[in-house]
Amino acid sequence: MRYLQVLLLIALVASAGSASASFFDKLQNLANPDSKESRIFSGATQVLSSSKEIDYTTERTIGESLALEGLQRFGTPVKNESLQQYVNLVGNAVAANSKRATIPYQFAVLDSPVQNAFAVPGGVIFVSRALVSILSDESELAAVLAHEVGHVSAKHALKSTQRAQFFEGVGTITAASVRGDRGKKFASAIGDMQAVLFDKGLDKEMEFEADLAAMETAYRTGYDPFALIRVLEKLQKLEASSKDKKGSWFSTHPPLSERIVRLRAQLRKYPDYAALASLHERFVKNAKLK
Amino acid sequence: MKITRRIVVLLALLLMATAAMAEEKRWVSSEGTTLKSEASATSDTVVDVVVGTEVTVVESGGRWLKVRTAAGKEGWVYAGRVSDAAPAGEVSGSDGGLFGDSMQKSQINTAKADSARSIRGLSPETAQYAKNRGTPEVIKKSLDGVLQRKVTAKELKAFLQEGKIGEYAQVQGGKK
Repeated sequence: MRYLQVLLLIALVASAGSASASFFDKLQNLANPDSKESRIFSGATQVLSSSKEIDYTTERTIGESLALEGLQRFGTPVKNESLQQYVNLVGNAVAANSKRATIPYQFAVLDSPVQNAFAVPGGVIFVSRALVSILSDESELAAVLAHEVGHVSAKHALKSTQRAQFFEGVGTITAASVRGDRGKKFASAIGDMQAVLFDKGLDKEMEFEADLAAMETAYRTGYDPFALIRVLEKLQKLEASSKDKKGSWFSTHPPLSERIVRLRAQLRKYPDYAALASLHERFVKNAKLK
Repeated sequence: MKITRRIVVLLALLLMATAAMAEEKRWVSSEGTTLKSEASATSDTVVDVVVGTEVTVVESGGRWLKVRTAAGKEGWVYAGRVSDAAPAGEVSGSDGGLFGDSMQKSQINTAKADSARSIRGLSPETAQYAKNRGTPEVIKKSLDGVLQRKVTAKELKAFLQEGKIGEYAQVQGGKK
């Protein structure tokens, strides 16, 4: 009987031991940003801080105001209905599989000669005619749009300005709050964000984050995730030969070589990537720019 | 001694069973996700599941997973439509049951997104901003046009189907 008790004790200790080992493994995993535990933990902290966050209506107002400035700076949408519809279909296909799939997204190709794409808070995304013209297939377009969706998902533009504090705590922005003195403060905050989005560029860690998110989103949708690397390599060639880099995707982003290295490392997560959709013909048919 | 050995075996089995019970969880992370009766997008729909629904993986077959909802519904889902962490942001939940709390939350959040979507064109706040800034009419009209654009779930499905993308690819069990 005593023998039995000893055995039971050993079994209990063994099971407790394995449970605690697993607990410590999980704790250790928290230090690894890619681990499941870390992601769940960061999700929990996001929920905790969510009460401080700007609500969607306000985010959308900020985004639309920035979009007005962007259109003045880069040009109005290309007058090609089928192209605009096509870009919206590709964009919405990836957005539905992004980390923020529940907000509406709108996409437009702008009549701009500079290779660029940008997203404003709330889900309006612009890509230039010049950038579309260097792409070869639908998966490359999906990669560019998914990168911009990544910025919207992570609210990078909002986090990039200290003036975001202006929007916090004021509750929902109403038409009344963009009038008079408050209207001036609002316009000044939008001005600050413009400088970040269009001139200075987002923090380079945010760009890396959007790149990795784009690859993951494209893969989850069913597009070849290698396409983003192809786009960056094309831009690298252009960068080498262009004198004026102002306003382009490579002037406001971290070095392309560094982005490519990180993406190649990430590509190992998708061993079956070559079997996924690229859709060259459909892209040529729909995105042929005159 | 025989009894002791049996107890040891039983204890070992119990430990193994406990380990097996740590089932793999996934969360629905894509809009418009449905569980299918087979690992194919063209098979019958078992149930529609909203973003944030927690599911348990029952079986894995390449890019498709057989999953079970908390309400006990079982079906196949394209692996790209679920993730291994609960989605952060506007919608989160854990129960895909018909009257589940999260379903209600999700519906409320979807309704919010829809009402935002239903604001056609420039919002009154943006119009006021444009007025303050003296934004040219052509720019206002351009943004108005962009904001009015909407892709329906039906159009998106047809687009993915035509391109044989993701769950519509001619792929079964991860093989071409």
